[in-house]
Amino acid sequence: MSVARRAFIQMSVGASVGILFTPTVWTALDDVSIWTQNWPWIPTLKYGEVKGLPTVSKMCESGCAVKVRTVAGQAFGTEGNADNPLSGGGICPLCANGVQVMYSPTRIKAPRLNGAEISWDEARTIVAEKLAAAGSKVAVISGDQSGTINEVFSALLTNQGSDDFYAMPCEMQTADKAWAGLMGGSGQVGYDLEKADVVLLAGADALESWGPTVANMQAFAANDSGKFIFAGPMQTRTAAVTSKWVPVPSEGMAAFTLGICYYVMQAGRSVDAADFEQFKSMVVSNYTPAKVEATTGVPADTMADLARTLLTARNPVVVPAGSVAADAAAFALNLLLGGAMTVLPEFDKAIDTAMSRSEMLKKDILQGVSADLLLVYEANPVYALPEQVKAGFTVAFDSVETETTAAADLVLPTPHSYERFDDMVSPYGMPVATYTIGASVSKPALDVMNAGDFVLGLVDLGFETFEEVLDAKVSAIGANKRRLMSGTAHVAGGSADVGGVTLASSVLGKAAVPVKGTGAVALAPYTLLNVGTANQATTPNAPCTISNNQLIGDHMVVMMASATAKKLGVDVGTKVKLSGGNGECVALVQIFEGVLPGVVAAPLGMGHTVGDEFSKGKGDNVYKILTVSSEAATGTSTWAGSTVNIAKI
Amino acid sequence: MEIKEFKIKWGMVIDIDKCTGCGACMVGCQVENNIAPMTKKDPYNYVQALTTHRDDASNKLRTLTWMTVYELSNKKVFPDHEVAYLPRPCMQCGHPACVPVCPVVATDKNEEGGIVSQIYPRCIGCRYCMAACPYHARYFNWWDPLWPEGMDKGLSPNASVRPRGVVEKCSFCHSRYLDAKNKARAEGSDPMDLADGAYNTACAEICPTKAITFGDLNNPEHKVYELAKSKKSFRLLEKLGLDPQVYYMTEREWVRMQGDNYNGGDGAASNNHG
Repeated sequence: MSVARRAFIQMSVGASVGILFTPTVWTALDDVSIWTQNWPWIPTLKYGEVKGLPTVSKMCESGCAVKVRTVAGQAFGTEGNADNPLSGGGICPLCANGVQVMYSPTRIKAPRLNGAEISWDEARTIVAEKLAAAGSKVAVISGDQSGTINEVFSALLTNQGSDDFYAMPCEMQTADKAWAGLMGGSGQVGYDLEKADVVLLAGADALESWGPTVANMQAFAANDSGKFIFAGPMQTRTAAVTSKWVPVPSEGMAAFTLGICYYVMQAGRSVDAADFEQFKSMVVSNYTPAKVEATTGVPADTMADLARTLLTARNPVVVPAGSVAADAAAFALNLLLGGAMTVLPEFDKAIDTAMSRSEMLKKDILQGVSADLLLVYEANPVYALPEQVKAGFTVAFDSVETETTAAADLVLPTPHSYERFDDMVSPYGMPVATYTIGASVSKPALDVMNAGDFVLGLVDLGFETFEEVLDAKVSAIGANKRRLMSGTAHVAGGSADVGGVTLASSVLGKAAVPVKGTGAVALAPYTLLNVGTANQATTPNAPCTISNNQLIGDHMVVMMASATAKKLGVDVGTKVKLSGGNGECVALVQIFEGVLPGVVAAPLGMGHTVGDEFSKGKGDNVYKILTVSSEAATGTSTWAGSTVNIAKI
Repeated sequence: MEIKEFKIKWGMVIDIDKCTGCGACMVGCQVENNIAPMTKKDPYNYVQALTTHRDDASNKLRTLTWMTVYELSNKKVFPDHEVAYLPRPCMQCGHPACVPVCPVVATDKNEEGGIVSQIYPRCIGCRYCMAACPYHARYFNWWDPLWPEGMDKGLSPNASVRPRGVVEKCSFCHSRYLDAKNKARAEGSDPMDLADGAYNTACAEICPTKAITFGDLNNPEHKVYELAKSKKSFRLLEKLGLDPQVYYMTEREWVRMQGDNYNGGDGAASNNHG
């Protein structure tokens, strides 16, 4: 059959008219426009009663007292706990994202032996065998600075006949080595930032990353009439709000502090210590302001001004950070000034065979760890101390995947802070001894176990569960558990005995001499909580808060003053290689005039190779380029005085 | 155009001399308002090989930060350099530049309290409002929000989730205002006369240095009433006449000068806030 031209036209016209009247085409077009814009997945919100449940968050170094917000029983957010002195209603940027980390796909889902999932019973058998085989060659590395969990681990070590308890490098350890180790003090040093009228932060980035950051910030906010001064190699976030920034190189902090001591002693101040005269003559002969100026570059007039400010203050305090020598020098200055430095007594232990806090801080992880069996609790030494840790068999307890869990033989998932019982015993820096307890406010969805429960199932320490240990701790310190569970802190007055404290003059005289590495530029590593810490990588919502001064694209940014950049022949955006220690980092240059000339400031906490997409592959790991040097006189190791060479690439 | 006045005028006073730029307010805001973490991979994109990756948080032109912290520098060289941090929410202007340009009335200032609304289902994504806002307070959803596997369990009940193609901005945590009013009604007090602190935003609540104070600028019983009138208070780009409801405080003259975007060249520019 042939189709005539006329028939073809008639059919075409008919079809066109027909299409106009059929809805099929128009509906299909409409559907296409909807489908192409449709969400493949539509998130639905949960509604119901909203509550704020008090607990503790262990994501930042000192820990935050928080309230977890729940809707119909499901956790969704974190807010501060106004009833607790550690929070006062505020929280740090890391803990603010706690719930999101709890739900993150980077959580460890089940126990794992060399990559293969195993049961908890199998895990217990393996660790029991390894413990028996290792005997006293067992070591523990803990990333928790203030928890009673450390008592459980240290009691386990005592049981094995080992004393190899290691804390990750922290300011609390430096302070303890200065106060207890060098000066013969007992108890823990604290600083009353709220009641002080002059606060000299000698290297302590107290309003960003040092000590109980949120409590410090609350104290700063409440202390309207107080004068805060920051001394350090760069204008940190803390220096953005203090009334003054005094540029001091980090390796010169001890000498700078002794230079102030010089003026304070000239004004007739003294300390009732056995070696005061020796200390005085050591400072007068070796740390005169002129000599300190020559070695550190800090003008003598600046030290004289600061001394005058501190001497005329009613209740001054000096808050140190960095090296053991810098801490000891600041403690001596505080004793001379007689101001707002406090000494906290230590709460009684829950487990008799556990170590005291000072004993736990004794071992120096920077000098290396070697053991047949290594237990790592919520710490990331493989990331922050890649060269120091060697072990025959490593067991990593953590809630999220890290470099350490990836390298460990056995991985044991712990519940997130919000899913377990935990506590905070006097975080370092608090002016008074405090105790805060945290209960589980969210049911664990994964196959996890509290590390305390696991250890107590292995050895007989007199307790069945970790909750029982906490109960014992509560009664040991004489607190009221019901009140603690409501989120308030137990605050103990009193002060440790400071009689018999010496000024460690013979050691300090040698240890305070500024020693710098051989690299071309001094390195000022700094920590921002939203970028992350040695143990905790940045969190899901935090990356967009990280500024172009730390991260551009996937590149780390290092900052330096224009004078330094000119000398190195680099400019904004130049890609450089920093080499120091035994490693190298790649970074882009940013000009920031708040860095001491001759110094490059680099953010710690980036460059993860394991973890979620929010932290992995972002920036570079500055821990690789830190130089460990031995402070010969104090017998300790330090990262202060690290230097790097910078080359354009 | 007349400045819209209301009996209640919610506003903020941010003390720059207390802000350390820690970023807790930004994180708190994102959690409260269901701003998704930026993820590169889309598990629902079955033709990933044919398409480009989504942007992650490194691309600051694509991130959604209703509250964002800017770093200010006095631009002097060492050792005279000073630095300050300035948190910037939506200014909830009395005379908003964004409202008259919206072709579909997706944004308006017509509710008691003076909060500039943003009605997501009405928004057609033309972004005129973004071009109009001199504070860069508005953000466009370039991508569908995605929470990595399991993370949608942590969604807040306080803000609906927005699809791509829609503009969004700080709402002064508006659902908290509704909650506070409901609570007042339930307790038999006047929802139009809330006590200081009964309604507070997530950023102000979380701020560890209490740099952000929130309240009714028209209510003498609220702290912000006095703070906004303080000698050291100023507003951003005041000379544009948008009458922002967010005030800043600082002792530092150089910060105030930058706040008004003083360019040094027009000579006549000066702060008119005392």
